[in-house]
Amino acid sequence: MSIIEVDGVTKTYRQYKRFPGLLGSVRSLFTRQYVEETAVRDISFSIGEGEAVGYLGPNGAGKSTMIKMMTGILVPTSGSLRVLGNIPHEKRKQNSREMGVVFGQRSQLWWDLPVMDSFDLHKYVYRLPESQFRSNLDFCTELLSMSSFMQKPVRQLSLGQRMRVEIAMSLLHEPRILFLDEPTIGLDVIAKDQIRQFLRTVNEEKKVSIILTTHDMKDIEAICSRMIVVNKGNLVYDGSVSHLRNQLGNEQRVTIDFRFDPGTIETPGLTLIQDNGVRKTFLFERSHTTVFECVSRLAAQYPVEDASIETEDIDSVIRKLYQQLDQKERERREIG
Amino acid sequence: MKAYIMFGVKSFTKQMSYRSEVWLRLLGNFAVIFIQAEIWKAVIGSGQVDGVSAQQMITYSIINTLMLALLLHRMSSQVDGSLKSGAIASELTKPLSYPLFLLSSGLGSSGYQLVFTVIPSLLIAWFAFGLIPPASGLHFAGFLAAIGLALSISFLLGYLISLIAFWVMNHFALDWMLGGFITIFSGTFLPLWFFPEAWQSAAGWLPFQFLGYVPAAVYLGTLSVTETMVLLVKGVAWSAILLVIVHKLWKKAVRRLVIQGG
Repeated sequence: MSIIEVDGVTKTYRQYKRFPGLLGSVRSLFTRQYVEETAVRDISFSIGEGEAVGYLGPNGAGKSTMIKMMTGILVPTSGSLRVLGNIPHEKRKQNSREMGVVFGQRSQLWWDLPVMDSFDLHKYVYRLPESQFRSNLDFCTELLSMSSFMQKPVRQLSLGQRMRVEIAMSLLHEPRILFLDEPTIGLDVIAKDQIRQFLRTVNEEKKVSIILTTHDMKDIEAICSRMIVVNKGNLVYDGSVSHLRNQLGNEQRVTIDFRFDPGTIETPGLTLIQDNGVRKTFLFERSHTTVFECVSRLAAQYPVEDASIETEDIDSVIRKLYQQLDQKERERREIG
Repeated sequence: MKAYIMFGVKSFTKQMSYRSEVWLRLLGNFAVIFIQAEIWKAVIGSGQVDGVSAQQMITYSIINTLMLALLLHRMSSQVDGSLKSGAIASELTKPLSYPLFLLSSGLGSSGYQLVFTVIPSLLIAWFAFGLIPPASGLHFAGFLAAIGLALSISFLLGYLISLIAFWVMNHFALDWMLGGFITIFSGTFLPLWFFPEAWQSAAGWLPFQFLGYVPAAVYLGTLSVTETMVLLVKGVAWSAILLVIVHKLWKKAVRRLVIQGG
């Protein structure tokens, strides 16, 4: 059963034109000229209960706008949007009981009070029974190792600690959906790992659906099996992470150290991309032969000291996708 | 309910961080009352003007100055702040009534003003300039009711300004304008009974008189019991009208919402 149903949703902002300079600013006072900016253009998808979906796209692609529409604080310009069967902005309060929301760049905590006070307030805002509140808090405290800073004022926490508190807080009322807008932004590797692991546990064991925006592909790989990619307001990919990898990331990078510089090498299947004399790097495109066959053929002909094979990481897969999109747009513009 | 009480307490304690302001405000209130007292003594002298004595006018000034302090709930700057920082996004994704959330923070601020500005200023002014007791027990009860009305009308006006800020994205000019209306029509500086006929009737129709003139006039007993009753009913009517307006406007404002930096 799907808990989020997005059908042809568009959101445009009206931006009044501003003129530069001092005279321009006077002129801006009287103008009614505006440009319509489309942040989200005709997007449709549906998300089932218990799914973990990564919502991905370059800066300004309309990710946050979509999250804000799903949480009911922005109203779509057109199209229909249903979350938990309700139109989000009409049933904002009702839906908010079943939702957890974390905005990575904004805090919902009480800045100058101890962490525990923010949790207590949350208990009253959501009218949680003491036993439920306790057991959920204990669950989060343990998995996110928060006990050492529960009594500290929020302003003294490190970014990683604060983020853990924000995420714990969004789960205390046992939401069915958790929205995370860039939850790992600016965190160190260990904090990121802990948060990823925690979110995976929450998704798998508590069956909480997760919708997450991020720029860090490792977040998506660790937490989400499905990925929605948007670019300039348009949906450009919706499917499994592994499928996208197969579709675009069929390249492997082979680095070979020779005993001495063999000069120019002709090998079918390998393309030279970097030549440092004794160390050469090739790109291998998956085809009927395997990369191993290629390398062993090479080793039979030349004095090979060492060889390493790297699979392309998901970051470069995404980079390639964005580049392809850019390319397509440029072509379209040239034709137009 | 408990959540809203906590929001009120929170806003009360937040004001504590501006402690040096307390001293400055006490000094400021003293100065304002002192100037007004001197003016009224010079204008009226030992006699009466329009049946009002200098001592009555001093009491009137004290009540009005302290009313201004009490109504310093900063409602519109709070909404403006969350609109500009985008914090309104997390405020709106909670199962809370936003108007009640604002009301509880506003009450917290007013409560703080009451404890740390109004009461100390009142004591200082009482010693320095003298205070006439309320005209009667009945008038005192009416005075308390009028303060309640002043709070409710002031919150609603502040909230109205905040909602209009959803369209213009800046509350400053609106706040300034509201301040101007309040200064003239609330009778804070010049009691309405000194106004020319036309202005007096204009002020009578507007809600601003409830923020200063009405509580002070009721306290001093310059109005008859029937007049007082009529005014209080009018105040309740104004609260109801404003409540309907802000309720309608809120529904529109939420649809208008543009979250900054998103």
